[in-house]
Amino acid sequence: MKNNIPGFLLENPPAESFQQNNGRVKIAFIEKGIHHLADVVKTGYVQWETASRDNFFQGIDARIKVLFLLFYVIIVSLKKDILSEFVIAAFVLVLTVLSRLDILSHYRRIISLAFFFGFLIALPSAFNVMTKGDIIIPIAHLSRPYSLWIYEVPEEVGLTTQGMYGVLMLSLRVMNSLALSFLVLNTTPFPEIIKALKILKVPDSFLMIITLSYKYMFLFAKTAEDMHLAKKSRLVGQVSNAEARRWVAGRIAVMLKKTRMRCEEVFKAMLGRGFSDDIKICTVNKLRMRDWCAGITFFSVGILFLWM
Amino acid sequence: MEDIIRLEGIHYSYFDKIPAVCDISLGIKEGERFAIIGANGSGKSTLLQIMNGLIHQSSGNFFFRSHEVTEKTLKNKGFLRFFRERVGYVFQDSDIQLFCPTVLDELLYGPLQLEINEKAALDRAHEVMQMLNIEDLKDRPSYMLSGGEKKKVAIGSVLTMNPEVLLLDEPTNGLDPRTQCFLFELMLSLSEAGKTLVIATHDLSLVDELHTKVALMSEDHCIEKVGTSEDILKDEDLLLKVNLIHEHMHHHGYKTHTHRHSHYFFHQHKNGETHE
Repeated sequence: MKNNIPGFLLENPPAESFQQNNGRVKIAFIEKGIHHLADVVKTGYVQWETASRDNFFQGIDARIKVLFLLFYVIIVSLKKDILSEFVIAAFVLVLTVLSRLDILSHYRRIISLAFFFGFLIALPSAFNVMTKGDIIIPIAHLSRPYSLWIYEVPEEVGLTTQGMYGVLMLSLRVMNSLALSFLVLNTTPFPEIIKALKILKVPDSFLMIITLSYKYMFLFAKTAEDMHLAKKSRLVGQVSNAEARRWVAGRIAVMLKKTRMRCEEVFKAMLGRGFSDDIKICTVNKLRMRDWCAGITFFSVGILFLWM
Repeated sequence: MEDIIRLEGIHYSYFDKIPAVCDISLGIKEGERFAIIGANGSGKSTLLQIMNGLIHQSSGNFFFRSHEVTEKTLKNKGFLRFFRERVGYVFQDSDIQLFCPTVLDELLYGPLQLEINEKAALDRAHEVMQMLNIEDLKDRPSYMLSGGEKKKVAIGSVLTMNPEVLLLDEPTNGLDPRTQCFLFELMLSLSEAGKTLVIATHDLSLVDELHTKVALMSEDHCIEKVGTSEDILKDEDLLLKVNLIHEHMHHHGYKTHTHRHSHYFFHQHKNGETHE
């Protein structure tokens, strides 16, 4: 073998050829993106950790929590006044505090999602072009009214009271629904949620899609992070954003192929252990007194909210 | 001789919660064959990734040729180049390491990063392919290679950068005996060529064949002992303690024996008799 060692491998660079210079390697935007992807794995770990603690909401049976989520999301959608939405938000906040979740990071995520998927999406409807009403914030004054497709643009364009009320209402509904979902997700281990959905007669094909998607998401994030590390170990300088984008674009196909193959292997492993399109669950624990009490309390409070 | 790699009191935890390595201090000399051995989950791969500056220790210091390697120092262009062209890392999972469209692209990736001219880079790639007997694979995509071929390409992709230090994570894992034998010989040749080899493994026969210096890691993620391969492999009580060998009972003909068993090339009976 020694005779086969190429000549260049026998040469060593001068031991001290390192020259300290002032050039700094900036972290490419794309690298930050990959770090965010890696955070998906971390989030999964944190979810598992917070869900496994022994606090108020974590101690309740998953079936009660899933029913609680469905019932309260319906209540949130049915309520038509802002005050009720605020009262529900306060109730969810109390439950979150009792469950000892990290309030700041928990609500940061909820508020940012509610901002994008509630407030920003609904904002155009606050203008008098969409919702007629009393203008509270004038935006523009046109020389004459215009007619655009199905919309009538009045002379004075601005945000209306009625429109703002609608935007606020929708944003609060989105925020409350997200807060309820995150509360249940962060206090219930994922397999328990699947088990509860199975008991509540959710179709197996739907549960399979959720389970494999969840697994796939982690495999994808982990593979992306590992491939990034492998590349990093062979990078000797700074990579421009354009180069990084090209690399990512070229690797996305490879990564999708690799992760899909791995996910297929997981599915084959399930088939190998006798899986046949029917999710089987082991003995289901009976609901304890604590679960019944929590269920009855949540139901009563929910009825109170509906009546309010 | 001064240490080429020196670790002082290294700690690392995953997600700031799960400890991976605790208070690791060791020195590796230039040209040395050094093995980090330990059971699964003892922190070998994490330690290797710290030595490649891929992840950074929560506390402690890591020096390469007396220069401290931190997240901050690796942001300096000059130092990043100095470090990366001298320290190569072969990942345990070759699938992850191979990210270029073909084998040839894979081998060229490193030299082109080092801004070596295209002709010299091609020469390097061809010489390495010749050495590893993978010339006929040069146009194949990585997902169409066997496990052994992937491992050869992964090693080749690092060798074309001509690093001084090669960090190898479980290099023989999942390979057939012939490819394992090929790798043993390759590692010995690279060592004779002056490369420093740092190998993370739980394959005791690899440690014995390469006659390495050994750092033994415990399941508490600490260094249990550092010594020669002979010292460590003879200390069966220690190997048993760190879960690298196990004790079990089986039959030899009509006799029932209790063995300490490592699936290594020999095992010893309780009465001192040795079976090869």
